[in-house]
Amino acid sequence: MMRGAICIWQRDMLVLRRNLFAEATTVLAFPLTFFLTFGLGLKGYIQEVEGVSYAIFVVPGLISMTAVLAAFDDSAWGMWFHRIVQKTIEEYRVNPITVFDIIIGKIISGFTSGFLKGLVVGLALLFLTGFQFKLLFLLSYLLYIFLGCIIFSCLGSLCGTLIDKPENLGRIEAVVVMPIIFLAGLFFPLSAYPDSILPYIKSIPTTALFDGSRIALLSGKMDVFYLLQLSISAVISFFLAVRMFEKKMHG
Amino acid sequence: MIVPVENEIELKNVTKAYGSLMAVKDVSFTVPRGMVFGLLGPNGAGKTTLVNMLTTLLKPTSGSAFVGGHDVVRAAARVRSLIGVVLQENNLDRYLTARENLIFHAKMHGMPPSTYHPRIDDLLSLMGLTERQKDFPNKFSVGMQRRLVVARALVHDPRILFLDEPTTGLDPQAKRMIWDYFLSLKGKRTIFLTTHNMEEADFLCDQITIIDHGSPVASGTASQLKEMAESSWFYEIEVDGRSDEYLRAFQRLPFIESASLEDGMIRVCLKKEGSLGSLVEQIDLRDLRRINSRKPSLEDVFLKLTGRRLRQ
Repeated sequence: MMRGAICIWQRDMLVLRRNLFAEATTVLAFPLTFFLTFGLGLKGYIQEVEGVSYAIFVVPGLISMTAVLAAFDDSAWGMWFHRIVQKTIEEYRVNPITVFDIIIGKIISGFTSGFLKGLVVGLALLFLTGFQFKLLFLLSYLLYIFLGCIIFSCLGSLCGTLIDKPENLGRIEAVVVMPIIFLAGLFFPLSAYPDSILPYIKSIPTTALFDGSRIALLSGKMDVFYLLQLSISAVISFFLAVRMFEKKMHG
Repeated sequence: MIVPVENEIELKNVTKAYGSLMAVKDVSFTVPRGMVFGLLGPNGAGKTTLVNMLTTLLKPTSGSAFVGGHDVVRAAARVRSLIGVVLQENNLDRYLTARENLIFHAKMHGMPPSTYHPRIDDLLSLMGLTERQKDFPNKFSVGMQRRLVVARALVHDPRILFLDEPTTGLDPQAKRMIWDYFLSLKGKRTIFLTTHNMEEADFLCDQITIIDHGSPVASGTASQLKEMAESSWFYEIEVDGRSDEYLRAFQRLPFIESASLEDGMIRVCLKKEGSLGSLVEQIDLRDLRRINSRKPSLEDVFLKLTGRRLRQ
């Protein structure tokens, strides 16, 4: 069953490799702007947050944000483009592979792309801040990024499957994706929220991702509840993406 | 030549409905192995829906269809391993070069590089694309893209070929080259062709089914179908100017089955013998240049059966 998925993943990686320089430049622009404006611009006004400098506080979140946004974008626009513009999904479907191969191939591609782009941004930001981390802390952090990329790649594939108009894909990103990322304590600690709102904020999987990954990278602590929340979200979004794609393809 | 003995394609009471709209209605027919089968019909007749069901892209609402002896719903992957498909649109991957498009397709079919590289070389040469194999398809003309789509469908040497308007957008030379290639496959491969190009159907097909509003209206060889129209009387009339005016006048006459203007000639079909005199009376003799009697074409057959032209 996986032959088709591997073919599709190899195709996507060939295209990514071909545009590596352009992709790396583009992916650096967004988080570096945030880092310069918030991390460095506000550094003089905000001395320390939860025991670390503000610049260090925002770095894990910026890396996570880059990774999951890239996973979402690559999956959503990739699926939409293959389905609506190139109509290559139809070509895939007349080959002896299954619809599961196609959606799994696309999810793995989105995941890989997000993960790689997150690493590029991570290296750049860690170089800029000179932040020293322990290898074990980094591995814990990568586990969160891994789960986050799976979730956002699945959600991107789901959107690319269900949404036909490109402007609606853009709206989903503006109205759903960006708010759940920014609400998750990317630029400030969750303790800043009033107690009455905090449980709702904590129920959003992105909070588990951003808060959990920051704690993992800065202190090496693994929050089991956060990991469980992310794992369940990954499983649900994977099945949703596969089921909806199968339904859409078979009319 | 292989004598066709088995049915490579078989449809039994196949229906496809989209809500209350019936795209295909209770269609049954068979295509023996080695045959070039043509499905003729105007846009919206249900041709592409039928192809999509036979190539496993769509599931029939009711009825059953078999390709290569396999059920298109229950053994879809098996069906897809036997078929090559040229869909109506040039659905090439514009981020892969021409050669990479073909390699990707070969990999999807599980072909090893030692098999697919020589095969791809042959097909690129056949389609006149060897020099452009490293270029991206968005740099190609529509005709070149079409040739690449046809090459892609042939990479894995399929037993059954589905060609949905395969030569649309091709210049006459390229069209002829591809027709000749399809002709060379006759008897060795089964070809299911949809077209609204009469010349293509006449040239390539052993058996033709005409479909309209989702149902077959006639079936047979090209000559059998033309015989169906031989009880009608066809003439071509050339007049000096005012062709449109004469056409409108002819269309109002009660003994005219159909009238159309093509390449400056008014083509008429009379309902009964002996009406020609009445028709000529409608023409100012100073305008009349010539009148020819002609044999019915497949287009005439279609018009007679459906009351519509193929490209309407």
